Amino acid sequence: MLWVDKYRPKTLDKVLVHKEVAENLKKLVTEQDCPHLLFYGPSGSGKKTLIMALLRQMFGPSSDKVKVENKTWKVEAGTRTLDIELTTLLSTHHVEMNPADAGFQDRYVVQEIIKEMAKNRPLDAKGKKGFKVLVLNEVDRLSREAQHSLRRTMEKYSSSCRLILCCNSSSKVSEAVRSRCLNVRISAPTEDEMVRVLEFIGKKEGLQLPPGFAARIAEKSNRSLRRAILLFETCRVQQYPFTNNQAIPPMDWEEYVSEIASDIMKEQSPKRLFQVRGKLYELLTNCIPPEIILKRLLYELLKKLDSELKHEVSYWAAYYEHRMRLGQKAIFHLEAFVAKFMSIYKGFLISTFG
Amino acid sequence: MKGRGKRNATIVISSSEDDDDDKDFSLKSDLSYSKPASVPPTNPNKRAKKASLSKSGPRPRKGPLTNDFDEIRRFCEEFDDGIRGFKVSTGNGMSRELWADKYKPCSLEELAVHKKKVEEVKVLFEERLTASKETLCKNVLLFVGPAGVGKSATVYAIASHFGARISEWNTPTPTIWQEHLYNSSSGLRYTSKLEEFESFVERIRKYGFISSTVGPRSRVVLLIDDLPVVNGKVSYGRLHRCLHLLVQSVCVPTVILMTDYVKADSTDNSMRYWEDLHVSLQEAGACKVSFNPITVNSLKKTLSRICKEEECELSAEQIELLAKASGGDIRHAITSLQYFCLKPHQLPSLCLSDGSTPSLRERTDGLTDLYIEPSLSFGRDDTLSLFHALGKFLHNKRESEPSMVLDRDTTNLKEKFVRLPLKMDSPESILRQAHSQSRPIADFLHENVLDFVNDEAIDDAWVVASYLCDSDVLLASVNGRMARNFEAENVVRSAAASVAVRGVLFGNSHLAPTRWHAIRRPKLWQVEQSLWHYKCQMVSQQRDANNGLNLYDLSVVATEIKPTLERIGNRGASEDFEAHEASPEHMADDLDGLILDDDKSEMTSEDEIEDW
Repeated sequence: MLWVDKYRPKTLDKVLVHKEVAENLKKLVTEQDCPHLLFYGPSGSGKKTLIMALLRQMFGPSSDKVKVENKTWKVEAGTRTLDIELTTLLSTHHVEMNPADAGFQDRYVVQEIIKEMAKNRPLDAKGKKGFKVLVLNEVDRLSREAQHSLRRTMEKYSSSCRLILCCNSSSKVSEAVRSRCLNVRISAPTEDEMVRVLEFIGKKEGLQLPPGFAARIAEKSNRSLRRAILLFETCRVQQYPFTNNQAIPPMDWEEYVSEIASDIMKEQSPKRLFQVRGKLYELLTNCIPPEIILKRLLYELLKKLDSELKHEVSYWAAYYEHRMRLGQKAIFHLEAFVAKFMSIYKGFLISTFG
Repeated sequence: MKGRGKRNATIVISSSEDDDDDKDFSLKSDLSYSKPASVPPTNPNKRAKKASLSKSGPRPRKGPLTNDFDEIRRFCEEFDDGIRGFKVSTGNGMSRELWADKYKPCSLEELAVHKKKVEEVKVLFEERLTASKETLCKNVLLFVGPAGVGKSATVYAIASHFGARISEWNTPTPTIWQEHLYNSSSGLRYTSKLEEFESFVERIRKYGFISSTVGPRSRVVLLIDDLPVVNGKVSYGRLHRCLHLLVQSVCVPTVILMTDYVKADSTDNSMRYWEDLHVSLQEAGACKVSFNPITVNSLKKTLSRICKEEECELSAEQIELLAKASGGDIRHAITSLQYFCLKPHQLPSLCLSDGSTPSLRERTDGLTDLYIEPSLSFGRDDTLSLFHALGKFLHNKRESEPSMVLDRDTTNLKEKFVRLPLKMDSPESILRQAHSQSRPIADFLHENVLDFVNDEAIDDAWVVASYLCDSDVLLASVNGRMARNFEAENVVRSAAASVAVRGVLFGNSHLAPTRWHAIRRPKLWQVEQSLWHYKCQMVSQQRDANNGLNLYDLSVVATEIKPTLERIGNRGASEDFEAHEASPEHMADDLDGLILDDDKSEMTSEDEIEDW
């Protein structure tokens, strides 16, 4: 088991970061009525950990007994019957899923599947009607239609089920959904907090940490706790005992992106653009989300760029990220960004060096 | 149908009558193409009687059966009426056939095919007919050409010139599904058309024409006009072998006719098969004769001859129009003529409008054709293959200097927005001719356009890319919409295609020096497929490996968990994950292979175009 899973705090009492949030959540649940919740915050900040701990707080240890199910749902959509395959995580009290994985059929998932689940509510020990919790991940990736029908589902079945939504950016969640939830912002942990977590894990594993090593990992991991723990484990496998100047390698794909970035900086021509396209395809084939590629690419380019260009380049990156969301085929937009960058940079080079 | 009634026997008799009628009808149906519904019935009384009969007939058991007969009968009558009406309106009560059959050339002089070609074929025939029986090989002639250029007509005319009898391989009628069910229930085995053809060829090779019908003295030409339809590599291979054998060992003069569809759809895989077939048959000793489309002049000659005989008065201009519209297809031209003579009042108006716009006339001939063609109710629509159209867009041919007309329109455009006029029809009309969907067009353009941009012009590359972006956004707006409004979707789609094409044409202002390019299949499709497979694989892996502890987002798995796992795994720390990790690289390779194979069957990958 990976350390990320192994050292995930199981209860709200044991969390190391976001202690205040955990306290509040605990109070919220002990007072019986739990509103719909929307957790948002950057990746690797501990949203899922908090949600799982919260579930345990609500239902006790039985919420840990989960099974993964890959179920095919038959959904009647007008005249056709659609088969939608979704992986769900089930316990007796809650269901967790990623409705956005259904792609543009996500609205059916939200409408039908959630409706069906919300309908059969469980009975608790005293024969009182309890409620079921639906955990929906990546709500920000849902289409507008799906979010709209999510809103209706929330109202209709609010007596029998609670929704816990989880997303990175609340700006991509519709206003209507947000106002029906208690919004919980989970900020990215500070580097100090991350160091504390890493040291905690080190102690549990019985490792000797040289001073400053945890800080270096924390710095590399871009304030994502998950990333930090993963890096920590990678370092452990690569070299132990740790030395202070040990290399902390980035992820493979990140290296690949920085390779692309230096390719772009070296030559600006349609031919090079074509080569870059090939490399982008490579990344996309490996399931790296295009938004993340674009972000990382921008980051790598900005590192190497003259400051007077930074603003314009960032503008275009934002522009094409938006277009990418509107469009269908990410490569068109990624490539347009690269082309635009090449064009800007070449113009800059010519004007500076003649 | 009078005797229809209580007893079975009469029903049988009447049904046989109906059968006769049926045959009659099928014969006639070949001759007619006017819609029966559009012709007012000439004998309503009769039909009414029939209808009432069919209602009142005292037959509880046989009801549906006789009703069917009745219906067919009635239908036949209507059809006959239709044909009659058709004939009356031609103004020539004598003709019962299509003109294309009626004016089939019977002598060499009547052939519209070029004199030299006829001469060549004649010589070839002479050689084979006189020297036959003894020399074994080289008995086969292979006639190749587009549809309706007179391949079969030439064979018949020349054969009759030499007094030879033509024995034709008749394609058996296709089996309908119901028929097949019936046959198989009664124990008859289904033989495919290809099998039948094979056995036919086998017979010919072994026995020639020894059958009693052929006198010993008469000379016979074997004509294979209608090759069985083949689909897929296996059946194609069988046909190939079979024809090869035929070519090598047949002892009668044989003509194989092949219609090639070069222009129609070269995206089709079968195209290549046919070309291979030509080559290999030639190697086996067949003599290939290609026929070109018939020239406008000889078309005109034939048409005016027919006009004279049919006493239709058409102006020379109208005939020329017909001849041009048919695209060298004489059968089509004659049929158009016949159709046209049905309502001769339509064309003058057309011609008037044509004559009244002299400005059109002043331009090149090609342009006038373009303006007239869509408005003709006959004539063949020119089709373009997808690759031809793409080639046009990518090569982006332009006039060398701005035309006067355009200068007037473009009053205040900045220098950098001005482009020379296109050396092609409007992109939309090309798109229409190519009959392709917008999505593939955009994908193909995206894949290939960078080859055509000058290596210095990165700005152009950006302009092109941004237009392709726009078209992608437009296309995406169509998908995933709940209420499907097809009309609106169509508009959006064609707008998207238009944006993509015009964006490419406009953006690519500094063309790469022209050289030979191959048009590639979009790699994007392959990427999408393997992405999908990879995703599925990852989901299932996660399910197996994670033991239900946590449901990570797919993006997190791809960007963080998986690379880490790989790294840890590589260092030998054996985790229980590794057992499930079925080396994704290899899997991906395998998948790629599969995908490539799949794709080949749906789209020729290395279809290439030349520099147009």
